[in-house]
Amino acid sequence: MAAELLRESYEIQGRNFDKAGEVSGEIKMLLRELGIDAACLRRLVIVAFEAEMNVVMYARRGTMTLILSEKDLCLEVSDEGPGIPDVEMALQEGYSTASDEMREMGFGFGMGLPNMKKNSDEFRIETEVGKGTSVFSRIWLNSNG
Amino acid sequence: MRACPTHAIRVKNGKASLIPELCIDCGSCLVVCPSGAISATTITFAELDRFKFKVAVCSPTLFFQFSQRVTPAHVRRALLDLGFDAVWDYSIDIELINRAITDCVKQWPGPFPLISSSCPVVVRLVQVAYPAMVEQLIPIESPREIAGRELKRKYSKELKLKSEEIAAIYITPCQAKTISILQPAEEAKSHLDGSVGISEIYNDIFNQIQKSSKPVDPEQIVFSSGELSRWIAPEGEFPNLSREHYLPLTGLNDIIKVFNDIEKGKIRNIEFLECHACLGGCIGGNLTVENLYVARSKNLHLLAYVLNPTPEFEKEVEKRYGKEDFSLRRPLRPRIIEGEVVDLRDRVMRRRRADELLRGLPLLNCGLCGAPTCRNHAEDVAAGRTEVGDCVFLSRERIEVLRKVYKKHPA
Repeated sequence: MAAELLRESYEIQGRNFDKAGEVSGEIKMLLRELGIDAACLRRLVIVAFEAEMNVVMYARRGTMTLILSEKDLCLEVSDEGPGIPDVEMALQEGYSTASDEMREMGFGFGMGLPNMKKNSDEFRIETEVGKGTSVFSRIWLNSNG
Repeated sequence: MRACPTHAIRVKNGKASLIPELCIDCGSCLVVCPSGAISATTITFAELDRFKFKVAVCSPTLFFQFSQRVTPAHVRRALLDLGFDAVWDYSIDIELINRAITDCVKQWPGPFPLISSSCPVVVRLVQVAYPAMVEQLIPIESPREIAGRELKRKYSKELKLKSEEIAAIYITPCQAKTISILQPAEEAKSHLDGSVGISEIYNDIFNQIQKSSKPVDPEQIVFSSGELSRWIAPEGEFPNLSREHYLPLTGLNDIIKVFNDIEKGKIRNIEFLECHACLGGCIGGNLTVENLYVARSKNLHLLAYVLNPTPEFEKEVEKRYGKEDFSLRRPLRPRIIEGEVVDLRDRVMRRRRADELLRGLPLLNCGLCGAPTCRNHAEDVAAGRTEVGDCVFLSRERIEVLRKVYKKHPA
């Protein structure tokens, strides 16, 4: 296990579409400043943005934690929300439980979780209906960080 | 200093300096510098004497700088009188690039959206601040480069001259295109030999037109599309794509907002982004004379007189499109920034140090330390570029130093 270099946590407010994307924006700025490899950064930002949108759309509140080591970038997102009744289903492309209102705003294409999984090297979901969901994503850094 | 969108400028001891890796040549500083210390690098007429045949390639923006009664034909005449041997008709090159872009977008496997590459500021912004998006810059030459290549081919053949003996001079609406001629972003050699800013040549053209002015016959205003691009977008980048998949953007701030959204994967269904760093596109360039809105009105006025493309025009486009290659000669790459030379652990340490330093700073972003924001100052200190004591809140002596630099004549 590589030594942890940095750990930052961010609060995400549910149902606040106005501020949606700010946390992933901040993470992006931070990683860009640290000169993280462009391809890894791109993947992580997509995961972070989709995760943030899921919290905003479905949960009351959530926390996103970024953990950087010399070998990898990890993202832990846990929320207080409805949970996902059928994870297998939710991981299929195009499956969405988004409301019309959300779709009109350009969200809820059913690409969120599949997109996160696709852009991660390691991806886990733990969820309990009525309580909340936590998602873990790991992206390996390449040699130049 | 604050006008710089990438925070590349520092002012120490009354003198501005630049962190060159961060500069994207946008020219925002040029317009606001109080002492006129920053200027554009363009070519002088004297430097042109070494060429045997001088050809002007005019940004269409040039034609919108004069009164309603001055037609492109007048402007061309004036340029010839001023010593150019020819004025290149650039509309065919523009049409060719429009086609090349349209075809490229239609055949592109992804990732989307493709980003136009004719504005050099946009290209450098992506290279510096959005390295992951470099592969989305459309790998096609700009119309002005194709114009330079074609005019050299044509005149060297017709006049039996070597291509080095012919000067292709771009009449430019901005200094960024000048820099793109001197140091192309793809690290190839430009087909153009230099540029003259519209504002530099404006008075000469204006006076020349006054001198030789005959009363304008209204009939004469009508001209063929050979003289002016049909497109509203002043540099002609207007692919034949359906509107829902195509997004035109102007102004650096708005472009940055949209690029941030692209980076998050938020923008879907858009295939092509046409980006011009200047508000309003190239007619808002920082070396233009007429203000954007008047120039646009003039543009629309002139377009009303433009005839449909002639069959000869269409034939020439068809002929050249089949046999020329319009792709960039070398791939665009991200620009390496200084931070990448130290390893990740050091970068994290540096960032921590900057965070700690920031807590001791006033967060007023007053700029008196010489950096545009407190965060920039903290980063500069952490990177060893400057002393923390440059902040006036931390050291009173700094105020005295500033007083000496800026108040040369005591009251």
